Amino acid sequence: MSRILRALVAVAVLAMVAAWWITRPQPLVAADLPDHQPDASAGERIFWAGGCASCHASPVQGKRAKGDDKLLLGGGLELDTPYGIFRVPNISPHADDGIGNWTMAEFASAMQRGVSPDGRHYYPSFPYTSYARMPVEDVMDLKAFLDTLPPIDGRVGDHSLGFPWSLRRGIGAWKRRYLVVDPVMRQASPTLVERGRLLVEGAGHCGECHTPRDRFGGLISERWLAGAANPEGKGRVPNITPGGKNISGWSAGDIAYYLESGFTPDFDTAGGSMVAVQENMAKLSAEDRAAIAAYLKALPALD
Amino acid sequence: MSYLKSRSLLAAIALAFTSPLLAGDDPVHERHELMEGVGDAAKPIGQMLKGERDFEAGVVMASFETFAEAAAEFGSLFPPGSETGEGTEASPAIWEDRAGFEKALATWSEAVDAAIAANPQTVEETKPVAGPIFNSCKGCHDDYRIEDE
Repeated sequence: MSRILRALVAVAVLAMVAAWWITRPQPLVAADLPDHQPDASAGERIFWAGGCASCHASPVQGKRAKGDDKLLLGGGLELDTPYGIFRVPNISPHADDGIGNWTMAEFASAMQRGVSPDGRHYYPSFPYTSYARMPVEDVMDLKAFLDTLPPIDGRVGDHSLGFPWSLRRGIGAWKRRYLVVDPVMRQASPTLVERGRLLVEGAGHCGECHTPRDRFGGLISERWLAGAANPEGKGRVPNITPGGKNISGWSAGDIAYYLESGFTPDFDTAGGSMVAVQENMAKLSAEDRAAIAAYLKALPALD
Repeated sequence: MSYLKSRSLLAAIALAFTSPLLAGDDPVHERHELMEGVGDAAKPIGQMLKGERDFEAGVVMASFETFAEAAAEFGSLFPPGSETGEGTEASPAIWEDRAGFEKALATWSEAVDAAIAANPQTVEETKPVAGPIFNSCKGCHDDYRIEDE
């Protein structure tokens, strides 16, 4: 009997060690970074493409920041989700309250591995699953741009999540399945589509809202950009593949014009969360918007 | 009470209950139709600015006139009690911040008046006067319209 008990204990210990190993955070280190001189002006493009301000700019009197207030990244926005409340942190270059003291490798680890400088997993409410597909040079440029912004005082409180979501370590197992660096669209692509792919699948993180999620909160890649339940409440986020009823009738020019001006071909305006996204896209170059449109038109048409 | 009187009373009661559903007395429906018309009028201007359609000064001016009429009427179509119904996308902010809403409408109205006064004869002349109108659409939608879908 005692031999069976000992065997059981041994198995349990092994399972715990295995789980600990499987869920371990895997940061990037300085040696992983390429020899690249970070360029702040190139980083500004990534900043707008990524929509950092849409979550990290401090709300002004309870409303989303507009104009130059989008560059004040003190955080504080609360995302009310089925998992609980996520509180968006301060990513201004403030040395103590923001990310001013982070090394380039720590920043790249956060963006592309979802790991904090103190070695903990970030929740995927911070869309590193998309940012993992960015060229790391773009991530480095982004850090250089963020470093030029005003430092903001004040730390934001922790998330308030229900059990079992409150167990941060479990995200390590989730990442094993859902943190995929490979492109979603694998077929050989013309240059413009490839440029659009990097923006849509990477920095732009369009899939985070426009692709439905499974019961573990991971994106269902077979339904890539085919529309999803609105993560912020009622209704649906539109299908932006050439299938479905939302934008199948739009030309590439219509998509690019919408991203530039906020007007649909029927001259309705963007609504909901897309207002902030569109305003960010308006700051990109016409070539970038054309590339996004080309990529979307090249997607498999899903109903 | 005579038969005739009771009948007219019944009719009055019936009318009292049904009249909010009649188009002429239904602000939610009316403002929706008015906005649809504004969208229809904006479309040709947008197509000309995008280079998808030949420029026609008359069409542009007709659209501006449509905007002017709509801007003059629109504010009256949000009386108390019309906050909900028929899938309205009107935000509660219209009633909570009436002054702000009126100001947004005034911005629209002024942009339209300026465009009519400018009487543009080319695409190049249309761009700078249509821009503020379109921005006023967007600005008001951002603050005073909710997403219904």
